[in-house]
Amino acid sequence: MDIRKELQEDIDGETLNYCFSCGICTGGCPSAMMTDSRYNPRKILHRAVIEGKLEDDIWLCTNCYTCQERCPTKTKVADLISLMRRVYVKHNKIPRFIKPLVENLAACGFTQVIGDLENRRRERMGLPKMKHTREIRRIMEKTGGLYE
Amino acid sequence: MSDRYAYFIGCTTPFRVSNYDLSTRRVMEKLGIELVDMNDAGCCGLYYEVINELTYLSMAARILSMAEDEKLDLMVICNGCNGSLFRANRKLKENPELKDEVNQVLADIDREFKGTIEVKHYVKVLWEDVGMERIREEVSNPLDVKVAVHYGCHLLRPSEEMRFDNPQEPVSLDELVEATGASSIDYLEKSLCCGGYVLAANQDIAYKMTGRKLRNVKNAKADVMITACPFCNVMYDTNQKSIERELREEFRIPVLHYPQLLGLSMGYSPREVGLEQNRVRVDPGIFG
Repeated sequence: MDIRKELQEDIDGETLNYCFSCGICTGGCPSAMMTDSRYNPRKILHRAVIEGKLEDDIWLCTNCYTCQERCPTKTKVADLISLMRRVYVKHNKIPRFIKPLVENLAACGFTQVIGDLENRRRERMGLPKMKHTREIRRIMEKTGGLYE
Repeated sequence: MSDRYAYFIGCTTPFRVSNYDLSTRRVMEKLGIELVDMNDAGCCGLYYEVINELTYLSMAARILSMAEDEKLDLMVICNGCNGSLFRANRKLKENPELKDEVNQVLADIDREFKGTIEVKHYVKVLWEDVGMERIREEVSNPLDVKVAVHYGCHLLRPSEEMRFDNPQEPVSLDELVEATGASSIDYLEKSLCCGGYVLAANQDIAYKMTGRKLRNVKNAKADVMITACPFCNVMYDTNQKSIERELREEFRIPVLHYPQLLGLSMGYSPREVGLEQNRVRVDPGIFG
């Protein structure tokens, strides 16, 4: 699939054209540092511009925004990677490591199921109990965000 | 300055680190700031920022509308919630079409986003609104301890939007630490991310990142580390033992939530700030 058009329709996506592949993003990227640059935001942007392709490595960004802070051309590198993830989800299945979060949100309104164990602990500490909500599920349904 | 806030604690705090909630309430009470609970608020929408933008903005707008109903600014204690809610608030205030679209979703649950309040991380509330002078007045038990400060990411970045402190060389949390009598020490790669955001996708990368900072903190001979985000805290404290096992390296760095440190300096007992719940044991004797 060619995702160039989809990326460029977005306001952050437009900045993809600013990138001249200098690599400052990758020089300061913690995930690049931990993987000997096998995770490489410069390549991710380049691949999107030149080939119109997204690959699974976009899920290794920590969203720390160091790249975006340092970019000399004001390319919204981190926001672009978030956008690429949204486009990825549109064309593929939702990644398996996100699935539990989505299921928990639909079930109780929190990303983790806050149940009796957590609430009893809170009560012992004199803290108010957390209540589940169905409103989040309604929002997920209405916006096509349930992914069941 | 406001002395009343809608108080949003998100998911990670009540699930993993309720002592963060406890200690935040203690210090805010001492400073005369009233917190209005939002116990059925649920999630800020953060994860949907990378899944589905309309779901994300609608979830965030729902939380914002709850604070709007109370006519109160929203105080958050999680950097993730801060990034998500601060940016959604800004985006929806600036974009009437997007606001209408989100309000059509919210109408289904009888809510409406109006755009009448601000989102503030409590570090911002303390540093900008309460002020150092007022905080120092409440420090009755000055601490003598060397602290490595970890700001985390979404308190400062993207700086173009967050517009808080100096994003390259922030000072707010360091000054807040020094107000307790403690000294904030310099250490290598202070702005390095905790890695929490990629934990689910790739534990190996996340643990290496967390371990790298713990190593830098240890090398700088800090007595303790402090965080201002529950997820950063989970990475450095809750997961420290398994990171030690994974990397075959010993750190043994006690990690406190900032309000625990401030609370101790205000004369609260270790138990009153939930110190016994920190995973890496904190010897109360180290605070001097």
